[in-house]
Amino acid sequence: MNRLHSAGAIVAGAAAVALMLGGCAVGTGGGADDDADYDPDAELSGELSVMGFSGVDEVATSRVEVTEAELGADVEVKLIEGDLDIQQFLSAVASGEPPELLYADRDQIGSLAARGAIIPVDRCIEGEGIEMDQFRESAVEQVTLDGRVYGIPEFNQVQVTMANADLLSAAGVSIEDVNGSDREAVTQANLALAKTGGGGVSVIGFDSKLPEFLPLWVAAAGGALLSDDGRTAMLDSQEAVDSLAWAVGIYEDQGGFSAVKAFRDSADFFGEGNQFATNTLGAMPMEQWYINVLNEVSPDAPMAFDTVRTTDGEPIAFAGGSAWAIPSGTENPAAACRWAKAMTSLDAWRAAAEARLSVREEEGKPFTGILTGNSVADDEIRDMVTSGGEPWDSGVEAMYEANDNTVSLPANPADAEFEQAMQDAVNSVLNGEATAEEALAEAQTTAQKALDEGWEKLESRDE
Amino acid sequence: MTGLDVDLPVGGPAAPGPKRDAALPAAATAVPPTDVEALRRGGRRRRGKATRLFAWVALALLGVVFVYPFVWLVSASFKPRSEVFDNRLIPETFTFDNYVQVWQEAPLALWLLNTVIVTVLASVTVTISSAMVAWGFAYFRFRGRGALFGLVLATMMLPGAVTMIPVFLIWNGLGQVGTLTPLWAGNLFGSAFYIFLLRQFFLGLPRDLFEAARVDGASQWAVFWRIALPLCKPALAVTLVFEVQAVWTDLMRALIYLRDTETFTVPRGLKSLVDAFGFGGEWHWEIIVTASVITTIPMIIVFFLAQRQIIDGVASTGLKG
Amino acid sequence: MTSTASRVGGGARQRPSDARQERERSRRRASRRNVRSALLFLSPWLIGFLVFTAWPMIYSAYLSLTDYDVINDPEFVGLANYAEMATDPKILLALGNTAFFTVVQVPLYVLVSLALALLLDRAGRASSFFRTVFFLPKMTPPVAVGVLFLLLFNGQNGLVNTVLGWFGIDGPAWTTDPAWVKPGLIFMSLWTVGASVIILLAALRNVPEQLYESAKLDGAGFWRTSMSVTLPMISPALFFIIIVNTIAGLQTFDEAYTAFFGAGNTTYSNDAALFYVIYLFQQAFEFLHMGYASAMAWGLFLVIMIVTAIQLIVSRRLVYYEGER
Repeated sequence: MNRLHSAGAIVAGAAAVALMLGGCAVGTGGGADDDADYDPDAELSGELSVMGFSGVDEVATSRVEVTEAELGADVEVKLIEGDLDIQQFLSAVASGEPPELLYADRDQIGSLAARGAIIPVDRCIEGEGIEMDQFRESAVEQVTLDGRVYGIPEFNQVQVTMANADLLSAAGVSIEDVNGSDREAVTQANLALAKTGGGGVSVIGFDSKLPEFLPLWVAAAGGALLSDDGRTAMLDSQEAVDSLAWAVGIYEDQGGFSAVKAFRDSADFFGEGNQFATNTLGAMPMEQWYINVLNEVSPDAPMAFDTVRTTDGEPIAFAGGSAWAIPSGTENPAAACRWAKAMTSLDAWRAAAEARLSVREEEGKPFTGILTGNSVADDEIRDMVTSGGEPWDSGVEAMYEANDNTVSLPANPADAEFEQAMQDAVNSVLNGEATAEEALAEAQTTAQKALDEGWEKLESRDE
Repeated sequence: MTGLDVDLPVGGPAAPGPKRDAALPAAATAVPPTDVEALRRGGRRRRGKATRLFAWVALALLGVVFVYPFVWLVSASFKPRSEVFDNRLIPETFTFDNYVQVWQEAPLALWLLNTVIVTVLASVTVTISSAMVAWGFAYFRFRGRGALFGLVLATMMLPGAVTMIPVFLIWNGLGQVGTLTPLWAGNLFGSAFYIFLLRQFFLGLPRDLFEAARVDGASQWAVFWRIALPLCKPALAVTLVFEVQAVWTDLMRALIYLRDTETFTVPRGLKSLVDAFGFGGEWHWEIIVTASVITTIPMIIVFFLAQRQIIDGVASTGLKG
Repeated sequence: MTSTASRVGGGARQRPSDARQERERSRRRASRRNVRSALLFLSPWLIGFLVFTAWPMIYSAYLSLTDYDVINDPEFVGLANYAEMATDPKILLALGNTAFFTVVQVPLYVLVSLALALLLDRAGRASSFFRTVFFLPKMTPPVAVGVLFLLLFNGQNGLVNTVLGWFGIDGPAWTTDPAWVKPGLIFMSLWTVGASVIILLAALRNVPEQLYESAKLDGAGFWRTSMSVTLPMISPALFFIIIVNTIAGLQTFDEAYTAFFGAGNTTYSNDAALFYVIYLFQQAFEFLHMGYASAMAWGLFLVIMIVTAIQLIVSRRLVYYEGER
């Protein structure tokens, strides 16, 4: 029997070893930067892997050059390919091998902070002497939770109203009718512009860009989806309900969202077959970078631009952007901090603007500016803008005006869940499964619960 | 096998063995006996000409329906971006650009290489280990054999989702997340489905052969390795081919374990292209279409090379669905 | 087996009881050796079973009682995850989607594969060519199938709607209209029936010729022959296909995930394609709610067990096995 036992013992032993190696659930995160030294004059070395930043255009590469010079030759920079995939990042943190630096959307920062996946950068700001007062206040607020800063912001995304002037005049409406200042006018203009019939949609009149632009419409109606302190959801406010009902109505008037979307999805959005060039879209609000795309691929498109406007006629935009954050458990916080500082510095933005300017000049195209999230840099770059003639100049004009009139979603530790709840609500209204009021009431409950849990998590972490 | 494959065994009735084998789960006995040979015979029954003509016409029409998506895909891959959706059979503007561009946009060669590495490791390890275990069940008699084999079959019923998370934590603890290891290393321990398949085959071999070898002093291992395995080449081939196909369809595990673009396998890579260039991204459908063609072609080639094994394997066991 | 050892018996002059003891001893010796060798051959599976099946099952049962996100230590929460499942509207949605998909897809799948198999059975020599044609789609990687779905079923200018247009039918927006997303995915899944067709064809070819001949002598027409000969004879294969496809349908993931989920995809009809395993995957690996996802996994396991058990009980009554009286 002994031998039999020994065979069994081998099996059991092997199993036990495997279990011990991989079996038990413990937290793998952690590691603040308490022992990290942040000093602008320190010589740095080591590895610096950056996740979420795929710098391919001249604006990115020129800044990376400036930054690498700041880091010195001893730091080995590795840019991890591809756009940020939050799941990938969290799994990297979970497996105890986080990247040294993370490049994320500002509205992802809160959830990551609550999870303990990223650490506050206050010590980094202080040690490296990052001039936070240069940054746009709204951008910094987006990455500040509970009095701590969790990221160094860069870029600003704002929306402007883009329209096809030919279609507008053919329908007898003006750009003012589609900039949102008078919602009834938008509804009427949409009816006048849209062409639907036999085989579905052939011209989209107005695209209210749901679900992603609901926050913009709510802000334009003078409301908000979340209290300024980021603790109380206001998804079921009257402004939200009215805005959602109106924005969904825009689609209903064109045969329903799904028909519009199917038509929209078949367009060559980034190419010469885009909706404006092919006269298949009357007007929509869209992020400012699309002006550049249009100017690039269809310079002759009959465009007209304006800011998006509040129901009082004031310019408004719902700002977002990116931020540099330091993952918890990182091995080289000093280099990460230096990188974040250099990438968002005035020098880097200057270099980027010059690089973009010369590229555009070579192509015989206008330089339309960059929204950096750094107001000092913004002012400097705005002076470098070159004219592309109309309508493009008015597009750039609208973009800068929008950039000075932004609101954004207050920082909160449950932004992922909040976003999800909002999207689910919008989708169920678009599908006709619920009224705006019912859907938003449900989203309110879900979002509030997530917010409460998120704040609880964050505060217990801070203790 | 992917974590979510569910296969139930189909095959002849288990070879007459001790009564204990009756402990097999009902699922394993609720399966039809299949005679692969029957597939090879043409329609045996004399049918009326009219019936046959009708069948041919119907099959031809259905055949077009089944083949056309491939034709459409290949045709679309030679169209420029603006024409991908035009549904023409012959591209209006014939271009090879997509095939050039797709190699620039994505490390396709690397993905193919990774997939080949995983495929070779996964299929070879699973074939050898499953054969070993199958031999253990087919050749030896010991108390509790039936119950143990019942357990093997029962694991086939277990949805992959139940073990998915702890298995992830195991690989995470071993520091293997982000590498290709978790995509194949589980195969070192065999796979229930193939164990079943190979056991059926071993049971069909004449025992006397092995007994004689034992009397001549061959070791247990030698009997298995030198005599049994070579005799079971057809079943091994089926196992290999099935596993190759499984690796090429294994999306979920690749989603769970792979992080860097350089480590992607083909399904994961193709998914990343859909994310980057699809509706949520840059509307570069021509890239996605072309990558789909490139990733489907190897499977089509495998099919034509191993058509007989695949068809036989499916007929006698049933691939998922 | 009768091992060589047991043939080395004692001499004939031994007393019977001695001989019996000796035989008994040697048999035990042999069986021990046997067990040892058997264990060696079985060891890969035994280890694999312990490490990758048994332990994970125990462990996921434990995890389902915790709140665990991999980054922080697990926190024991008792049955809170299960309670949460009961009130999570998305669980209900995902279950509904999955049930719809399975209930509609499986019968269609079986009917289509049976129809194709019957046609092939009557096609004579052409059948092997068409068998290949029908099986080819099965070799297409599911991700590519998901891509094809998005393209062919595009509501605006997809091929499917173009063809429907020839017949004057105004096709729906398959990929964007929540009411049509699941039907679209179901139609797409019918493209990969190849394996079932082959299983059924093999079963059809196995029906003994004499049964048909005697049915003919009885003057039975096509319909009666089908009902009293063909169906009963292939019922085991049919049930096999039904069971396997039900289990697979309940775990649908690849094609729908490719088309509607993943990084950067905020397609608006996600909800209509949110199948149970997709939601489970999201909870586990996108939100890192490992505890909640483990609870979901056990819920799925339970559902699959119940459904399969019911199907097996039903099949006992309906399926005809040769040799049964």
